[in-house]
Amino acid sequence: MKIIGDILSTTRDDLQDEDGATVTYLIRKANISHSRISRILKTLVSQGLLEQVDSQGSNKYRISPTGREFLQAYYKFTNFADNFGLSI
Amino acid sequence: MEFLLENILNLIGFLVGLGIGIMSMIGFRNTGSPTLFRLTIAFFSISIGFFVIWAGYMAEDFVIKAGNIERWIQTLGIAIQTVGYFFIAFSHSIKSFFPKSSYFRSVGIFPLFLVSSVQIEHIFRSVSFILLAYGAIETMLSYFENRNKGAISVSIGLALLALGEFLGWYSFVFPESILYSVSMTIKIGGLIALFIPVSKVPLTKIKFDEGLE
Repeated sequence: MKIIGDILSTTRDDLQDEDGATVTYLIRKANISHSRISRILKTLVSQGLLEQVDSQGSNKYRISPTGREFLQAYYKFTNFADNFGLSI
Repeated sequence: MEFLLENILNLIGFLVGLGIGIMSMIGFRNTGSPTLFRLTIAFFSISIGFFVIWAGYMAEDFVIKAGNIERWIQTLGIAIQTVGYFFIAFSHSIKSFFPKSSYFRSVGIFPLFLVSSVQIEHIFRSVSFILLAYGAIETMLSYFENRNKGAISVSIGLALLALGEFLGWYSFVFPESILYSVSMTIKIGGLIALFIPVSKVPLTKIKFDEGLE
């Protein structure tokens, strides 16, 4: 769950350019393997949380409006779970 | 006095449990987090447990009028609450709930035979005490890690509930003493402490998206 939060917040707040973030950049930010992030990105795109953009022959990712809503809920409920000494 | 306190406690317990349970459920439906799912089960169980006892007292007061609540209703309510406390402790991942040594495991069965004559309600109360104490300690330890002030309030709330549960269990030794009333007052304080940080979580602009799983 934390990795998903990190990926979404990177594609929202920490973009390299307007087209979105590359897989390499996201790997560096989330600090996970290529195969794992590929599976997560595929899921996030299929769920409509991320948008895949074809930019100069390479795939880039940027957050969708649904992803922004999810991230807002994620932050609020992370705080909620923190009160119980738990992480979501 | 005891009857009034019992009613206030069970009503507050029902409302606080329901409030936190609904909030956890909204969180689970928005994020799909398993932790929030466990908290949903925990607080709905706690809420239902308090409601069962409250309904028992109401039925006794207005319908049955036998002068005392049916024992099995009280036991059922406490058992359902214990399930809720178990899920709070389970969320903190109980690492060694059962002893690994076969010797201790065999010894551990004996108390079940020894206390078979003791009402099952006391067993549930003592299990609840252990689970609540575990939850309080784990929550306090998490405060030392991330310094979230809300965790202090939740930890104190769980600790007060544990103390209240212990005194409630112990009061069967001195049935006519003030212990039971003190136990209920402490538990009411615990429930309020539990709800304080949760009430500060803003839920505005959060909506459930049907497309999320």
